[in-house]
Amino acid sequence: MTLDRDSAATDALLTDLYVDALLAGAILDAAAGRTAGLRRGGTPNGFADLADSIDPSARRVAERLRRDLARVHPSFRFEERLATRLAEAAVALRLPLAAGAEGRIVPFPGGPSADVDPGLGPDAGASGGLIPAGSAPGLNGVAAGVLTSDLDPAHRPAAARPLLIGGALTSAALSIAGAAFVAWRLGRPGRASTPMARAARAVRDARLSAASPARGLD
Amino acid sequence: MSVPGRRSTAPAELPTRIAHLDRDRPLVEAAQRDPLQFDALYRRYLAQVYSYAYYELGDHHEAEDVTERTFLAALANLAGFEERARPADGDGASTFRVWLFQIARNAVANQRRGRRRHPQAPLEAAALVADPLDVEGGAQVRDEVAAAWKAVGRLPSDRRRAIVLRFVEEMSTAEIAGVLGRSEGAVRVLIHRALRSVARDLGAGAGGSGFARPDKRERSS
Repeated sequence: MTLDRDSAATDALLTDLYVDALLAGAILDAAAGRTAGLRRGGTPNGFADLADSIDPSARRVAERLRRDLARVHPSFRFEERLATRLAEAAVALRLPLAAGAEGRIVPFPGGPSADVDPGLGPDAGASGGLIPAGSAPGLNGVAAGVLTSDLDPAHRPAAARPLLIGGALTSAALSIAGAAFVAWRLGRPGRASTPMARAARAVRDARLSAASPARGLD
Repeated sequence: MSVPGRRSTAPAELPTRIAHLDRDRPLVEAAQRDPLQFDALYRRYLAQVYSYAYYELGDHHEAEDVTERTFLAALANLAGFEERARPADGDGASTFRVWLFQIARNAVANQRRGRRRHPQAPLEAAALVADPLDVEGGAQVRDEVAAAWKAVGRLPSDRRRAIVLRFVEEMSTAEIAGVLGRSEGAVRVLIHRALRSVARDLGAGAGGSGFARPDKRERSS
């Protein structure tokens, strides 16, 4: 029983080696295998010996399947349609990365600092050492700019403070402004002074004044 | 010369490789940084995934569906892909390809589950292999290719899958083991038995040097 299993495993291993050689092009067919010799290591007639050692029917089937089982390519139209769909999906995947990328980092206006590294250039102190968008390695254009002081803490100017403008801060500022406006409107004493309110009040006063003489005549 | 998809035959005295390099690693890393770069991987493996699906399902439209789902799933999950290559995977082996075919295998299984009937063997594809200028020879080639495809199609699913991955996709035994979730020894035995089954089906060995042309009544039964 064990011998049978070992024998089957050995046969399978030899067949596998033969198929390896066949797919690698070392053996073009059985006849060529006997005379072609090796293209990779071993004895010159190693593959011929290998071909002799496996089941002839399995060997011929392997040669035939290598010839007949061709790879099938899809239509060009399908290929391009799927490529377009994948590109759209890729753009959608990039969006989370790009969220907030419309904001940019600008230095807090604190003026040039005395301990700015002169190696950063003449504008480093005034601008906070802004690197143009896309020049920062690894950011892939997501951030519009990056401070050189953030790259190297040793060169960080004392007065420079990065401030993010746009994106999340913009929406937060709008929310705060909206809440403040509502609070001001609710807490404001007196009548509303919007044009619409003034027009409504004028119409109502005109109707009241027109109705009063008629009511007096009755 | 290093042959893609072949088991390593490096002598024992050579120093052990510290790290096995996936041949797709540069493309995978580029695609993980920027999903738009996935296009290069898509172009490289489109025909392989499509062929695998076509041999499994026997229908162009279903193969297109599976191919589309496979690549969309691969793109969506690429960030979580980790290369887990082993030296046994061989020179030029690609763990990304193994991962991609695992996705394709699941997509094919889902497609099979969803359909109601099995299609006929893909006979029309045999015409693609034949020479259109050689009518007589082309007809014979078509017959032989169709017979081979039918014989492979009659194999049990695990054997058929192993044969397609080995001969159509030219994967190494280690890669097939990764795709099918089996040991390399089990894959070798699968392929060996599949070859013997196909040989019996095609009447190999009965006629000596070549294959006996299978009887049409036998083939259709």
